[in-house]
Amino acid sequence: MTGSLNVIGYGLATLGPAIGLGMLIGKALESMARQPEAAGMVRTTMFIGIAVVEALALLGFVLAFAL
Amino acid sequence: MTHVLAAAEWGGEFDGVLDDINALFDFPKFIDLGTWFGQDIGINRTIIIAWLMTALVGLLFVIAFRDPKLVPGKLQSALEMVIDFNRQIALDIIGPKGLKFVPMLTTFFVAIFALNIAKITPIFMLPPTGRMAWPLMFAVIAWLIYVGVGIQNQGLGGYFAGIAFPPGVPKALYIILTPIEIVSSLILRPFTLAIRLFANMAAGHILVVITLVTPWIFLSSARGWPIGVFGVVLGPLVFAFELFIIALQAYIFTMLTAVYIDSSMEAHH
Amino acid sequence: MLLATTIILAVENGETTGIQLLPDASELVMGTVAFLLLVALMVKFVFPKANQAFEDRAAAIQGKMEEADAKLVEAEETKRTYEAGIADARGEADRIIEEARASAEALRADVVAKAEAEAAAIVERAQTDVAGERERVVQDLRAQVGAISVELAARIVERELDQATHEGLVDEYIQRLSSQN
Repeated sequence: MTGSLNVIGYGLATLGPAIGLGMLIGKALESMARQPEAAGMVRTTMFIGIAVVEALALLGFVLAFAL
Repeated sequence: MTHVLAAAEWGGEFDGVLDDINALFDFPKFIDLGTWFGQDIGINRTIIIAWLMTALVGLLFVIAFRDPKLVPGKLQSALEMVIDFNRQIALDIIGPKGLKFVPMLTTFFVAIFALNIAKITPIFMLPPTGRMAWPLMFAVIAWLIYVGVGIQNQGLGGYFAGIAFPPGVPKALYIILTPIEIVSSLILRPFTLAIRLFANMAAGHILVVITLVTPWIFLSSARGWPIGVFGVVLGPLVFAFELFIIALQAYIFTMLTAVYIDSSMEAHH
Repeated sequence: MLLATTIILAVENGETTGIQLLPDASELVMGTVAFLLLVALMVKFVFPKANQAFEDRAAAIQGKMEEADAKLVEAEETKRTYEAGIADARGEADRIIEEARASAEALRADVVAKAEAEAAAIVERAQTDVAGERERVVQDLRAQVGAISVELAARIVERELDQATHEGLVDEYIQRLSSQN
């Protein structure tokens, strides 16, 4: 059996960001539904949060190829 | 990890060819400009692409605003929309004081967008932002700007004191908080800016290459042709998705730069 | 074609490392040069003109809006004048109609009164005529009845009575008769 431990590492690295993104977007949708007039602000903040969380997953992806 | 791409070997004609993932990104210099400060300086394909895309953007803007009309034409109104988009980012995040950063934010946005879109531009098919040099350059310039704004607005001591000792925290906590704040504000911020853009573009480039390689290899294969057909069908979807990522990353980079500038404007945390 | 190039290059290089994480020096330098040139271009040539265009447009729109406001005020003034004129005219018309109605009413009352008076006069005259006629007829009848009665009585009693005594008697009788009537 051949393969790379990097793949497993990347698989593990996606778990955290996946949970984080789920919570983040879910909460953002919840607050948008609760206060539609604040939707623009929530969306901006949500994208910032997504960018921060997503960086972890992408770091895993790139490092999986790099190392 | 390169074995992920070894699936491409299944067609049987490209043994070991895709073993080196770096070959998708790193191109040899075809013009050598000699050695400067111990570094080989030259021009390679990525640099040419970056220059062409940057020149294209600059040209578009110069043509559109060479003789601005009161009732704009197509090109002018399209680019005005881009400027207006960045103005909106500045207004939303920084407020009225952010209007003077609109040219800077717009330049960031269009430059990053242009370099990103080289990823799905025919003939080029390579995002310069997928090479660490460009994201790092953008991040360092953004870092210089927001640190400069902080020093300008709060003074040298005030800015760094504001970062190191955020107000409204018990004094004992500074032992833990100060190193974290310094690292996160001054090192992690530009680092994540660069890594985010780089990783997105590198991953996107790999995805595009796989999507394009799949039909080429599998369609001629005796057993694997259905996979090739699948790759052909998937191609447009992947391109559309990449277009979305390209715009989103340019937007996020611009917006985060605005957020960091905003946090430098005042001493609040 | 791109893939062929990359594959050939990869084979020629024979490298087996992963994605290069550190920036390439020449790419960093050249990229920075290109970006700074773009920044210079944008700051020097594009944004002054773009901002000028935005300001011009804002000024033009502002001017148009002010012009429109002035026009609106003017139009309202005109409208007010017209409305006042219309109200005047309407009052005038009302007054005229009222006057006409009043004069018509007076005229009608006049005519009716005149007609009534005339009718009353006619009736009066007719009644007088009728009364005169009746008086005359009664007078006639009385005379004739007197004469006839005398003749009758004369025929009945023949010579027993003289004319004068009998006439006095008949006259008395008829007097009584007419007063009974």
